[in-house]
Amino acid sequence: MLTVEHLTMVYPDGTVALQDVSFEVKDNEFMGVIGLSGSGKSTLLRCINRLLEPTDGRIIWNGRDITHLEQSDLRLVRREIGMVFQQFNLVKRSSVMTNVLSGRLGYTPPSWSLINRFSRADRESAVVALKRVGIPDKANNRADELSGGQQQRVGIARALMQEPKMILADEPVASLDPVLAHSILGHLEDLNQADKITVMCSLHFLDLVQRYCTRVIGLRQGRLVFEGGKDDIAQLSDTRFKEIYGEEAQRLGAR
Amino acid sequence: MTNQVITPPKSSPLHAILSLVVPGLGQMVAGSWSRGITILASVLVLGGLSVWTIAQKARFPDFGLSFAIFAKLVLETGLLLVFLLALRHLLSRYIFRDPAAEGFGTYGVAILFFLALIFAGGAMLSMAGNPEQLALVHTGTALFSAGTLAALWLWQINDAARIGAAGEVVKQPSMAAAIIIICLLIFSLGYNITEIDPSKAVREYQDLFVLLPRIVWPWRAAFAFDQNVIEEIQRIQAPCPEGAIGPPSNEPDPDEPWISATPTCGELGVRDLTGTFTPGTELTITGGNYTPGAVVHILWKNPIGNPFVPRGVGPTDIAIDENGGFTTQLFIPDVVISESTATGAQIHQLVVREESTEVFAGRLSDDMTLALTAMLETIMIGLMATFFGIIFAFPVSFLAARNLMGSVVTPLNRLVGSLAGLGLGAWVAVILTGQVASLLGGLERAPVEIFLIAIILLLLLSFLGMQLGGRLFGALLSAIGQTAGQLTAAFLLAFMAALPGYYLGLGFSRGILSIVIDPELAAARENIYAYISAVILAVLAFTFAWVNRKRGDISVGLIIYAVTRTLLNIVRSIEPLIWAIIALIWIGLGPFAGTIALTLHTIASLAKLYSEAIESIDPGPLEALYATGADRLQTIVYAVVPQILPPFISFTIYRWDINVRMSTIIGLVGGGGIGFILIQWIRTYQYAQVGLAVWLITITVATLDYVSSAIRERFV
Repeated sequence: MLTVEHLTMVYPDGTVALQDVSFEVKDNEFMGVIGLSGSGKSTLLRCINRLLEPTDGRIIWNGRDITHLEQSDLRLVRREIGMVFQQFNLVKRSSVMTNVLSGRLGYTPPSWSLINRFSRADRESAVVALKRVGIPDKANNRADELSGGQQQRVGIARALMQEPKMILADEPVASLDPVLAHSILGHLEDLNQADKITVMCSLHFLDLVQRYCTRVIGLRQGRLVFEGGKDDIAQLSDTRFKEIYGEEAQRLGAR
Repeated sequence: MTNQVITPPKSSPLHAILSLVVPGLGQMVAGSWSRGITILASVLVLGGLSVWTIAQKARFPDFGLSFAIFAKLVLETGLLLVFLLALRHLLSRYIFRDPAAEGFGTYGVAILFFLALIFAGGAMLSMAGNPEQLALVHTGTALFSAGTLAALWLWQINDAARIGAAGEVVKQPSMAAAIIIICLLIFSLGYNITEIDPSKAVREYQDLFVLLPRIVWPWRAAFAFDQNVIEEIQRIQAPCPEGAIGPPSNEPDPDEPWISATPTCGELGVRDLTGTFTPGTELTITGGNYTPGAVVHILWKNPIGNPFVPRGVGPTDIAIDENGGFTTQLFIPDVVISESTATGAQIHQLVVREESTEVFAGRLSDDMTLALTAMLETIMIGLMATFFGIIFAFPVSFLAARNLMGSVVTPLNRLVGSLAGLGLGAWVAVILTGQVASLLGGLERAPVEIFLIAIILLLLLSFLGMQLGGRLFGALLSAIGQTAGQLTAAFLLAFMAALPGYYLGLGFSRGILSIVIDPELAAARENIYAYISAVILAVLAFTFAWVNRKRGDISVGLIIYAVTRTLLNIVRSIEPLIWAIIALIWIGLGPFAGTIALTLHTIASLAKLYSEAIESIDPGPLEALYATGADRLQTIVYAVVPQILPPFISFTIYRWDINVRMSTIIGLVGGGGIGFILIQWIRTYQYAQVGLAVWLITITVATLDYVSSAIRERFV
C-alpha cells in the first residue's frame, strides 16, 4: 500500500529530522511508530501525505510515486489518506457538523466553499460518521464545547468522511487519559478491522502498541532502529529497548 | 580596630586633558571608541542645537554671535560647577576628614583655566555683539542649556580620567549620570523651542474667561428666538455742499412709530492723524409712538448701507418717555467716504431701533440645523470609509499574511505564463471598457456604472488570464522540451520586466537626475536612461529565471507578501490629512474627498490589523484541512475565516470609531462634515457656534466609544 524509500528530511534551520528511512506498510496493517519525542515520528507521518516536503527519498502510494506530485494531483492522493492529530486540530469556533463535513472538502469543487455548500449525501454520511464514533447528539455544538475525548472522535469522524484507504494518526491519545486512550484506539481498531482501513499510528506507551498494533517501527534521532511484528515488542530485550529509547530510559507501563 | 586603607580612585591627567580639549577624545585614546564617539556626537549635536535655538529665538542674523554667547555661558556655568565641586572636596577633606579626598591641584588648575577662557571669551563677545542684541537672548533657558552642557563636559573629563587610568577596561563605568544630564539638556532645549511660558498663561487668563463660557455652554445658539424690531430711519446728507438742502425731515406719524431730525444736511465729523476728533453738525432727533419705558438704540448707516453704533457723538441708548416719545441731540460721526468713488449726494441713514425681548421660538436655530446635518455627514463619512475599507482590506489582508503566503509556490513556467496572462487579461479589460464606454457616448459622459463594469471586467479577465496563461503556458513550455521551455520562459520574463524597467529609468531621470544634474540634459537623455534601465531589469529577470530554473518552485507568495506589506506600510504612514489634501486636489471640496482620504488610510490600517490576526491563528486546523485534500480557497473558508472573524469584527468597529473621530479632523482641511463648518466658525470668531460643534463632536465620539466597546466585548 505504502512504500517509503530512503526518506530524508532536513528542516530549513538545518535540523535533520529523518535520515534514510525506508519501510513498507502493507494493506490493512495497524502499524505503530514508536520513539522518543523529537525522534521524527511526526515529521515522518507529515512527509507521507506531504504536509512537509521531504528533502530526499521517495514515497510510493499504491505503486505511484507521489514525492513530486503537483498540488492538483496531490489533492487526489491526500483525500485517500485520513489524518488524526494529537491536538485534534478542529476549527474550534465552528460546529461539530462543519468540522466533520470539512473532511469531505477533497471531493467538493473548491468554488462551492464560497457559498458554504455540501451535498445532502455528504450531510447524511456526516451524521453516520458521528453515530459511528458515538456522539451523534453533539452535531450542532461548537467544537470547543466538547471534551478532549469527544474532540478526538470528531477528528476521527472527519477522517472517516474522506473514505480513506489509510489513516495517519499522530499521537492520537497523547493528550488524553488512559481510559479515553483505549476508547479512541478502539475506534481506530474498529475502522482497521471492519472497514479494512490501513492505520499508521505513532504512540508513546508500549502497552498500547502491544495491544493494538500488528507491526511496529521504531525511530531514534531520525533513523529507523527497529522493525518488527506484534510479538517482537513483547519480547523486546532491555538492550533493544535502550537502542530505541536511549540509555536513560526506564520501562514503564509495559510488562 | 583596623586602619582601613582607602585608595582614592586612580585618574589619568593625560586622558582628562585630551577630553577637556575635545570631548570624548580621552575615551577614544584609552580604547573606548564607541563611548568616545557617543560623547563627542552628543556634545556636538546638543551644543549645536543649543546654539541654533538661541540664534532662532533671538533672530540673530548669524550663528557666530549665538555661538559666542553660548560658549561664554558654558564657561561661566562650568566655572560655577567647578567651584561647587571644589567646595565639596574641601568640605570632605577638612570638615569630614575623608581620607579619600586628597589632592587639590586639579581644581585650582581647572578654575584658572576657566577664568582665563571666560576673560578671553568675554573680550571677544563684547566686540562681537551690542548689548541690545544680547538682551534678546532668553537667558533663563539658555543658561540652563549651557549649564547642563558644561556638566556633561565635566563629567566626560572625569570619565576619561578614570577610563584612562584603568588601562584595559573590563567593565566600563556607568553612564547613568551622563544620560540624566543629556535628558536635562534635551528638556531645556525643548522648553526653549516650544516657547513654554507659564507666566504668560497666568497673565492672560482674562482672554480665556471671556471666551470660555460661550464655548462651554453654547446652547442658546442652538435654538431660534423670535423678536419684534421697530426700526425707523431719517435720511441725512453729509457732507453738505453749497446750496444743498438735504432730504426732507420726516413728519410725525399719528399712529405708527416715527423719528425726525433737523437739520438733514450737515458736515461729517473729522478724526485727524493725531487722533483728535472734531464732531460734525449737531442734529436734533425727535421721535414718537415707541413703547413707553423701552430703551431704543441709535445706529448710523453710511451711504453704502453698513450700520455702526455712533459712539462719542451723543447718547446711543435712549429711554422712551411715558408718551412713547423722545428727543435727543447727536453730532454727525466721522464716516470714511472714498472721494474717488463717491459721487453725487452722500445720503446716510439715522436709525432708531427698538428691540422687544427675545421669545423662545420652539425650534432649532439655523446654525444648529447646519451643525446637526454636518455631524450626520461626518458619521457617514466615517461609515463609508470603513465600509469601503473592509471591502478592499479583506482580500488584501490575506496577501499580507506570511503564514498563508509562505506556502504559495509556483514553477517558473507557470509563473511566467500567469504573469503574461494577467497582463493580457488586464489589457483586454481596459480595451473592452473603452469600447463599452464609447458605445455609451464617451468616457466622460458614460454613466457611473461604467466604473463598476470596468472593475469587474478587470478583476475577471485578469484572474482568467492568470489561470489560463499559467496552465496553457506551463503545458506549452513543458511540451517543447526542458531547455527550450526554460529558455523561452526566461526570455518572456525578461521581456515583461523590461516594461516596468523602462518607466523606472524614466522616473530615475526625471526624479533624481534632473535634480542633481542639469535638468535640460537629463530631459534630453531620459530615453537613454529608460532603455538602459529596461535592459538592466530584463537581464536581472533573465538571470533570476535562469538561476531558479532547476529549483522548480519559486516562492511567489513571499514576493507578493513583501510587496503588499511595503505598499500598506507606505499608505499607512501617510496621514489621512495628507491624503485629504491629495483628494481635495483630485475631487474638490466636500465629503467625497474626505471619504477617499479616510478610505485609503483605512484600507492600509485594517489590512495590517487583519493580516496580523491571520498570522496569529492556530495552524493546526489548516494542517488538518490540507491533509483532507482541501485546496487553498477551501482551507481559507473553513479553517482561517472562522478563526479570524471575532478579531476582524472587533478591529472593524474600532476602526469605524477612529474614522468618525478622524473625519472631523479631515473636515478642517475641506473634507466635508462638521470639521468643515467648525473651522469656518473658528475663523469668523463665532464661538457659540464653535461650542455647538465641539459639543456635538464630543457627544458623538463618546457615544460611539461606548457603543463600539460594548459591541467589541461581545466578540472578543
